[in-house]
Parts: sequence; structure tokens; C-alpha cells
Amino acid sequence: MMSLYTRRIWINRIGITLSMLAMSLGLIALLWILWTLFSRGFAALSWDLFTQDTPSPGTEGGGLRNAIVGSGLILFFSMLISTPIGILAGIYLAEYGRVSRFASFTRFMTDIMLSAPSIVIGLFVYALFVVTTGGFSGWAGSLALALIAIPVVVRTTENMLKLVPTSLREAAFAVGAPRWQVSLKVTLRAVKSGVVTGVLLAMARITGETAPLLFTALNNQFFSTNMSEPMGNLPVVIFQFALSPYDNWVNLAWGGALLIALLVLAVNIGVRIVFRNKVKR
Amino acid sequence: MQDKFFHHTTQLFAFVVLAALVGILVSLTYEAWPSIKAFGPSFLWTNIWSVPDDKYGALAAIYGTVVTSVLALLIAVPISFGIALFLTETCPVWLRRPLGTAIELLAGIPSIVYGIWGLFVFAPLFADHIQPPLQALLGDVPVIGGWFSGPPIGVGILTASIVLSLMVIPFIASVMRDVFETVPHVLKESAYGLGCTTWEVARSVVLPYTRVGVIGGIMLGLGRALGETMAVTFVIGNANRINGSLFAPGTSIASTLANEFGEADPGLHIASLFELGLVLFIITFVVLAISRWLISRSMGSEGL
Amino acid sequence: MPDQVMPPDENIALQVRNLDFFYGDFKGLNNVNLDVANKKVTAFIGPSGCGKSTLLRTFNRMYDLYPGQRAEGQIIFHGKNLLDKSQDVNLVRAKIGMVFQKPTPFPMTIYENIAFGVRLYERMSKSAMDDRVEWALNKAALWGEVKDKLQQNGLSLSGGQQQRLCIARAVAVKPDIVLLDEPTSALDPISTAKIEELINELKSEYTIAIVTHNMQQAARVSDFTAFMYLGELIEFNETGTIFMQPVKKQTEDYITGRFG
Repeated sequence: MMSLYTRRIWINRIGITLSMLAMSLGLIALLWILWTLFSRGFAALSWDLFTQDTPSPGTEGGGLRNAIVGSGLILFFSMLISTPIGILAGIYLAEYGRVSRFASFTRFMTDIMLSAPSIVIGLFVYALFVVTTGGFSGWAGSLALALIAIPVVVRTTENMLKLVPTSLREAAFAVGAPRWQVSLKVTLRAVKSGVVTGVLLAMARITGETAPLLFTALNNQFFSTNMSEPMGNLPVVIFQFALSPYDNWVNLAWGGALLIALLVLAVNIGVRIVFRNKVKR
Repeated sequence: MQDKFFHHTTQLFAFVVLAALVGILVSLTYEAWPSIKAFGPSFLWTNIWSVPDDKYGALAAIYGTVVTSVLALLIAVPISFGIALFLTETCPVWLRRPLGTAIELLAGIPSIVYGIWGLFVFAPLFADHIQPPLQALLGDVPVIGGWFSGPPIGVGILTASIVLSLMVIPFIASVMRDVFETVPHVLKESAYGLGCTTWEVARSVVLPYTRVGVIGGIMLGLGRALGETMAVTFVIGNANRINGSLFAPGTSIASTLANEFGEADPGLHIASLFELGLVLFIITFVVLAISRWLISRSMGSEGL
Repeated sequence: MPDQVMPPDENIALQVRNLDFFYGDFKGLNNVNLDVANKKVTAFIGPSGCGKSTLLRTFNRMYDLYPGQRAEGQIIFHGKNLLDKSQDVNLVRAKIGMVFQKPTPFPMTIYENIAFGVRLYERMSKSAMDDRVEWALNKAALWGEVKDKLQQNGLSLSGGQQQRLCIARAVAVKPDIVLLDEPTSALDPISTAKIEELINELKSEYTIAIVTHNMQQAARVSDFTAFMYLGELIEFNETGTIFMQPVKKQTEDYITGRFG
């Protein structure tokens, strides 16, 4: 009997050790990637990165100014499109989603869209927009990214709204407020910070998206703020430069990757810290 | 009256998501039509991709997509299980939050960062220090030896699978963690009450109890892996052919699209790329639908 | 505090000495002392939050699972203090089984629910295991009802049957003591009656400690009764004495229904 028991204790120890090992493996991967990113990225950081445009083949130096501005514009407009759509759709799911079949079907599809391959979204916008308007453009890029951001905003908005206590809603209904006022002026306001979180997370999600921009915004070697033309943007520049034979290009790719990662990590960590304080209070 | 307006307005916006899904299906089919007409269903199992001959078949890309995703899951599932088990059962309470956040951050890193890390850091290391010993160890073993043959060049199917596995671990681990937390305390206590060890409770009670959700989490990881573009494109080697060796370069649907779409010739080439996209969309849609269905079933009503 | 280990006594299964229990900073049990008699039924009664379940959960160190919960003092079992850090809790729990308020069949077949625990401690042939499963189900008065569906999932049984399955599962590993934590509070009156009958049968072979909020139940099934209030053991005596001639005012108030 003891031998059976000793065996069980050993299996337990091995299992627990393996699970710790798995955890460490995850942490090592994270730290390794971050370490590479920071060491190579910081080496590439310089004033030129922000003041000069992407260099043409064979020329020295250069920066990412056009790509940074382009990415900023594309992101701004995609959030401008996706935020209202996402919030309103989220309200619909939270308000009417409990009973309506259409709503639960929509919720299911939104969840699928959350993980749908982003490159397919790029193809879709290409077929829908690039082909019909006659060319690649910043607008097409914004549209593609917006389609990826919408499901994120929808689901966080809905989840936040569901946290509102029924008593608060009932109190608002009790004073005779119509449903739309209760939704917009009471419940939505009560979870304002949660909805902002959702929007920020959606932005973080699309900041590094590369695949859908390849066939929509394409790239532009020159500085441009014209959203109707192909537009330089960080992810595509990173993609092209990283695979190039020029050292200064590869360097710029690392610098760009660091910028993107910093933004994404800052949002992800910031949101968690802010939210934790909210919950504590 | 206003309420009705409000209802319909919000409903309209919810409809956007559905419209996008249907739009994807319709527009991809429309654009792929020349290729569908020219090659018929045999597109799916033809192993040729030749721009000069204007002949296209998806087999190599589908093979690469499926093999890298399945290998990625083989690596990611046990690791994710370990992470979820650690975070729910053995981790000290004060460490749970920071470690959980760290794993979630792994999901937040943009895929292009995984891509350049894989290409510049992991692939060279893999070629120098892992592939040669692996080859020496397993290269002569019958049947599986062929999987490890060929020059150790770093990039290839196996490298892509490993980078992919890192990317899907946080998704699978977080679903597993969520469903593990749905196991009632009292059920675990009864197992501990019989004198079970933590490992036995996890294996014999927690895992069977959460089986449905765990499978859902794995399917979610699969859906993610199948459609992942950037990380794979950087490290898979981009050779549109099927090679029995896992060390050999290959391609996936997504990386073929990323590489060729920008410069594709109008006509059959671009239509075939659209058809590839359509195939990818349908596969991932089915996988993700099953995954969501399983997860919601598991998180919803299951219980004592 | 007396620290010497008591000599083992044939008639006493558990000796509780100077037991304090803490949930973080909150003191859940205060200086509890009592002896749980061997092969008798000891009932723990008292209003909610009095510490009766807490006390029961110290007997098999279930609180170990939760950081921040700790017990101080002694619980002597087979001559050793089972609160000692050096005690192997798995072995303690194999000797002191527990059944919970809600039925908790494991997500496996009825047969496996019983065999699972047995397999943890004993290697045996298939036929010996079959015998053991039948034996345990018989002990729990469930064999007749399930003998034709041993391969069905444990969750397919009714609530009362599930609870008896859990008792069979606890008995199957042949423990010395069975702890019952409000085992009938989630059951209908007929199932409750069956379980009470079962307790009467089981006490010839096992020491039983039962927590219940149902005073009639305590009076019906137990030999000894402990009345607890606000983390303290107020009164402990033979069940007849507690219910007929309680010494303390609080006990009398509680059993006559004046508070609780």
C-alpha cells in the first residue's frame, strides 16, 4: 500500500512541477520577446526616427515619420468608425439580447468575428472598397481595421452594461424615463470607464494588425495625409523592411516594432491598473 | 415611439456585424468565381501553384496551414493546461494576478512582433542549437526520421508551428482557466476529502468536469492558429510545395495571401488567391463556431 | 497550554484539545475541547455561523485548501496530533471521510465514483473491485437501485441517490471516521429518512460526526450532541441529556426554539 501511495505522491510532484515549468515557459517566452524587442528597438530609436521619412532602397539613414503619421490617421479614423457602431450594437445586445433570438445570434457571430482571420477582412475590404473605388487608400485601411475593432467594442460594451445592477435601471424606469434615455443617460453613463476601456483595448488590438493593411492602405514611401491615397503605416513598413537586405531598413523595422509594442503594452497594462482601482473602490 | 426608434437604431448597428460576415462570404465567392469555375472542387486537392502556367491548386497551402496549426496545438495544449492548472490550483494568491496578466500580455503582443522575433532571434538559434541535435537523435528512426531531414535552415514548418504555439497559448490557457474556475469548490473538496492529491483532483475531477469548455478553448486556439498571418509568414519559408520534412520550408493559406496578393496578376491568379481566402474563412468559421458553442455551453448551464 | 500527547483510548476516536481556528484575523473557533466517541454518532448543532461546520472541517484539515485559514491546538487521532504540519493530510483524509451538504458525484460513472477512491490506496483485481463496489453500495443502501446501471453517469441519479452514492464513496475506502456536513439539508423528507436510517446502520462500524441545523435530526440519529454558539462549545453531553436536561441557558433557549 505504501508503494502505491509513494507513487501517487511522486506523480503529483511531477505533475505540479510540470505545471510550474509550463508557467515558466510562458514567462520566459514573454520576457525573451520583450527583451529582444527592447534591446534592438532602443538601439534603433533616434530623433531621425520621428523626423525623417522612410528611406528609398540603398540610401542611408531615414526614419518612420510618414509611417507613424499614417498609422495615426488610419487608427484615428478606424476608431471613429468602430466606436459608435460598436457601442450602439453593444447596447442592443445588452438591452434586448436577453430575449431576442436575433440578438443572441448576433452575439454568437460577434464572438466568431473576434477571432476571424484578419487577412480575410483585408481581402473583403479589397474586394468591396479598393476594387470599386479604383485603388488602395488610407480609407480602405481604416475600414478594414474598423471591422476588426467593432466586435471588441461590442462585446466589452455589452459585458460592462450587464454589470449595471438591475436596481439602478429599475429606479430609472420608475421615474418614468423611456428606455432609450435609461440606456444612454443612466446605464451607459454608469459604465463609462468600462466602455472607454473596451475602446482602448480595441485600439490596442488593431494597432499591430498588419495583414489587413497589406491589401488596403498598402504603403507609401512618402509623407502623405491624404486618406484617399495609399498611405504609409508602421505594420506594413515593419513587414517590408524586416524582410529587406538593407541593415538600416531592418533597424527601422525594430524601431517601429518597439513603438507599436510600447503602445499596445501601455494600453493593456494601464487599463488593468485603472480598472483594478475602480473595482477596489 | 422614441423607444422603438432606439430599438431599431441599435439593432441596425448590431446588424453591421452580421452584414460584414455575409459580405465576406459573398464578396470572396464573387471574386473567386473565375478560379472556382476554372478548377472546380479539385482546386482543394491539387498540388500545383504556378504563376507562369496560370495553374493553381490549394493543397500545399492547406497542408501547411493544417500541419502548422495541429503541431502548434500539440505544443500549446499541454503547456496551456499546465499554466491554467498552476494559476487556479497551486499558485500563491498574491502571485495569481501578476502572472495571469503576464500571460494575457503574451496575447497582446502584435503578431508582427512574433514574426520578426521568430525570424531574427528564434530561427537562427533553432538552426544552430536545436535542429542538428534533433536530426542526430531522430533522423535515422524509421517513419518519423523523414520529418527531421533536410538542411537545418531555421525557417520552416516546425519553426512556424513553435512560434504559432506561443501565440495561441494565452488564448487556450485563459479559456481553460475560466472553465476551471467554474468547478464547484465542494466538488473539489470531496475529491480532496478522499485523500486525492492536487494532480489527481485536476486530472480526475476538474478536467472531466470541464471537458466541454476545455475542448472549446482548444478549438479557439485552432481557429486562431489557422488564420494567423504575420508570425507564420516570417518564419515558414514561403515555398509553395509539400515536403515531408518538418524542417523544410512550406507555406500556409494566410502567408501565401500576404506574399502574393499585392503583386498578383489580375485574372486567375488573383481569383485563386481569393478562393484560398474563402477556404480559410470557411474553415476558421466552422472551427470558431464549434469552439464558441462549446465554451458557452460549458460556462453557462453546466453544474451540480 | 497542556502539550503532552494523550494516551490512545479505545473508546475515543478524536480528542479535541484547546482548538482555536482563524479565518485570517477573524477567530472562528475559540478553545474547543471535546472527545468524539468511537463508533458512536456525535451531532453538532447550533445557529448558522456558530462554527459547527468549521469544527468539522478541521477534523480532515479541509481548511488547508484555503490560504489564510489556520487551526491551533490539538486534535488527537490514533495518538497523533493531526494538526501537525508533519501529518500527511492525504492519509488523514483517507481515514476520515467526508460527505457534503450538496451531493457531489464526480463526473464519471457510478461504478467509477466508488472505485476511484479505492484505487487511490489499494491495488486490486477487477473482480475484487467489483466486490468492493457492491459492498460499498450495499452499505449505503443503494445497490438495489443502481446495480443495473453501474455504467451510467453519477449525475443521472436523483438527489437522494446521489447523496447515498457519496456516502458509499466515502465508506468504500474503509475510513475510521465519516464526517457528514448537513448531509440532508438539500434533500426531500423521504430521502432524508433513508439517510438517517443509514446513519444508524453505519455507526456499528464507523465513528460518525454529523453537523445539522435540524435539531430533531440530531435527536433522532445521535448518541452525543454538541451545542455550539459564536465559535464556542457551549455544552456537550449525551444526546438525551442535552435535549431533556440542558445545563446551560443558551442550550435550552436554542433547543426550545427561542432563538436560532
